[in-house]
Amino acid sequence: MLNLPHTVTRSVLLPAAPAEVWEALTGEATLREWLAAEVEIEPHEGGELLCRYEDGEERRGEIELVEEAERLAFSWRREGGEPSRVEFLLDAVADGTRLTVIETSFAGAPSLLASGWTAPLGSLRLVLGRLVLA
Amino acid sequence: MSSPDARVGAVFGALADPTRRHLVEALASHPGATATGLAATLPISRQAVAKHLKLLGEAGLVSSRRHGREALFELDATPLAEAAAWIGAVGAEWDGRLGRLQQLLEKGGAQLPSGLNL
Repeated sequence: MLNLPHTVTRSVLLPAAPAEVWEALTGEATLREWLAAEVEIEPHEGGELLCRYEDGEERRGEIELVEEAERLAFSWRREGGEPSRVEFLLDAVADGTRLTVIETSFAGAPSLLASGWTAPLGSLRLVLGRLVLA
Repeated sequence: MSSPDARVGAVFGALADPTRRHLVEALASHPGATATGLAATLPISRQAVAKHLKLLGEAGLVSSRRHGREALFELDATPLAEAAAWIGAVGAEWDGRLGRLQQLLEKGGAQLPSGLNL
């Protein structure tokens, strides 16, 4: 059985320098403004991440990669759920920072994550679109 | 393969191959097709098509029933709906989070505890 991971990608232009965006991604006070109602983070590789939402849901995770103002990655999972990996990429642009987030859910084969996966994903949406219309 | 997330992984794996995506599309418009009939639409052998159909079957995307000497194949879109639901749910989560982050940063750096300014 094939068991590739699947991925969601989002990219936004933020009106702030990478250093400021980095603070928003790694500071507990700012994380509480946008990520979850309550956030505890140890922003170093191997550090712990804890998110609590207003509905009581909890996610626990571990920081996997810290490249200040450039890349941040962690894995997390909700209670009883499958783990997924979240990676943030920060690119300085003229008006601020382009922030890209990639969330990948693993079904057993993390090493199979390949940059090429986004291409088949585009095709999958087409397939799904046709199926919905079929 | 019991948890929804694991099933979704199998679906994405099965659809990572362009030939299998072609077969899914062909079965969507021609339910009840045979391996021979499907092979006629592709530059590969009936045996190769049968192998791909087996994999799609393991991912729960394709089912087959016997009709005389032939197996007729049909698409089951349920696992695709689960995969689509995962993409939709996680995507919506990030749309919400990144929207809040954008608003937060538009208010200006003065509100950030670091006191960083552009």
